[in-house]
Amino acid sequence: MANSFAAPPKPVAATRRGRLGPADVLRLVPWVIATGFVLAALLAPLIAPYDPIENVGMPMMPLFTDGHVLGTDGFGRDQLSRLLYGLRPMLVVSLGSVVLALVVGGIYGLVSGVSGWRIDWVMMRAVDIVMSFPLILAAILVLAALGASLVNLTLAVAVSQLPIFARLARALASGEAARDYAMAARAAGFAPIRIMVREVAPNIIRPLLVQATSVVAVAALTAAALSYLGLGVRPPAPDLGYMVKEGQELIFIAPEQALLPGLVIAIFALAVSFCGDQLGDDRAVGMAP
Amino acid sequence: MIAEIVRRIAFLPVTLFVVATLVFIALRALPGSTVDMLSSQFATAGLRDQLIAQLGLDLPLWQQYLIYLRELVTFDLGRSFITGKDVSVMVGETLPVTIELALASLIVMVLFGLGAGMAAAARPGSLIDASLRFVAMTLFALPWFWFGIILIIVFSLWLGWLPSFGRLPSTLDYQPVTNFVLVDAIALGRPDLIGPWLAHLILPALTVGLTTSGMLMRLARSGIIETGRLDFVRTARMKGVPGGRIFFRHILRNAALGVLTVIGLQFGAMLGGSVIAEVVFGYPGIGRMMIDAVLTRDYAVAQGAALVIATLYVFVNLATDLAYRWADPRLRREPGR
Repeated sequence: MANSFAAPPKPVAATRRGRLGPADVLRLVPWVIATGFVLAALLAPLIAPYDPIENVGMPMMPLFTDGHVLGTDGFGRDQLSRLLYGLRPMLVVSLGSVVLALVVGGIYGLVSGVSGWRIDWVMMRAVDIVMSFPLILAAILVLAALGASLVNLTLAVAVSQLPIFARLARALASGEAARDYAMAARAAGFAPIRIMVREVAPNIIRPLLVQATSVVAVAALTAAALSYLGLGVRPPAPDLGYMVKEGQELIFIAPEQALLPGLVIAIFALAVSFCGDQLGDDRAVGMAP
Repeated sequence: MIAEIVRRIAFLPVTLFVVATLVFIALRALPGSTVDMLSSQFATAGLRDQLIAQLGLDLPLWQQYLIYLRELVTFDLGRSFITGKDVSVMVGETLPVTIELALASLIVMVLFGLGAGMAAAARPGSLIDASLRFVAMTLFALPWFWFGIILIIVFSLWLGWLPSFGRLPSTLDYQPVTNFVLVDAIALGRPDLIGPWLAHLILPALTVGLTTSGMLMRLARSGIIETGRLDFVRTARMKGVPGGRIFFRHILRNAALGVLTVIGLQFGAMLGGSVIAEVVFGYPGIGRMMIDAVLTRDYAVAQGAALVIATLYVFVNLATDLAYRWADPRLRREPGR
């Protein structure tokens, strides 16, 4: 399994100079969508027509009602406002958990990769053992232990992503540590920590970042699934996964209540995985939770 | 090969021990857990202390841990705080359900993933290839629970073809023996069970199977294309080996290695997917049991379920690894990793 991470990703294809063809425009689409989501989440207080938590109208108003374009939910809360605010926990958790997993897993793998084989062996068996849980189960256990909240959800998703980064960083670092420049640094008598930080780390950061982009979608989906299960953000705070759960109970009356928030998650995940795909060639699909 | 199997199996107890310890730490050692839940129901301090003593929660943690391990060795998973049932009995009722679902999902995943992968590899760069790749990407990006809800809306709500909730209709008179419906149907001579059972199984299995098939599809596609370019395939072609034989005996056999690994890797995703699908479809498997237990803080049940799922996963991973070695003779002689 470790071998699939061993090869450094292919370099990003150099874009042609000059006129932009239709293919280039198409390549931009996922970036535009992802940016749009981030902007919408940031500007939610400005663009959302209502408070997402307050009951602002009759419950269960249908789509395209005057004043409530996407209708209202079972509590009379404005759906559009809830969708916009619901983007925030999704973005915070997916980006936060990936950054956390990247930093912690990256350092862990770096130390393991440049250390002697004994330490390396122990550190990697520890990763194996974490991997011996289905990743979502590990996340569920973290949330069971710490309780449901936004911070804990971020932690739980980060835990489920850690092994991927630890293994990749370890594979890259041990490869780099065997190369001439690292040998030369060792021969020159540099401290191991210096070799790690100044010599090896800069050479492995790029593939790690590419990997990070490609798992943002997975993180978003894992977070949404955990929220759907009731282990994420506490209601009444708006959260897309939990909105699907609430909508499912109304599925016979108003299926759009479950469909819309899920669609938002799906579009975001799709856009982000296409972005990651462009950066990392084709390693995005390989990382399902 | 044999040495490797022995080595892997020897490491198994270590893994299981650490897994059990991690589950203990997550569900027992952290403060607040069980007693919080109980104290809300049993307000008086006396009753509370009595209950804590009864559950053995007043003992020092290391003692609780030793008792926990001793109980595990004898397959005693404790009792549910809520229903009072033995957790091992509950696991016996729910685990077969999840195994059924996981196997059905596996069939869907392999049929769809491999089929689509082969179709895409037949003409790389064609429209079929491009659209199948897009489908793979989309399936991968769909939130599983949401995909399940779409299936419910389409097949239960609009078309009315399939049920959306549960595993068997409650009107059906069925006393489970093994809890594997198919086995029971054969053993008890009850062919009438199979129809409703399948009808309830289709949507959850499609949910998990299709959403996990994207990776298999990509791998099958690239595996077949890359193997097809290798010298030995050209040699076979020059020898005049028929196309079908080249495809099945030469290309597919080599591409199967990657496929096996994916199936093993995806089994974890499949167990995770089952947890979610079980919640979406009200399917009474071990994943739903665990989620319910976590939400109601029924820790003995959550702990038992987590242990069983992780153990199952560990065994499947081992089996995949061994199957991989069996399928690729080149790996048999290689001394370890």
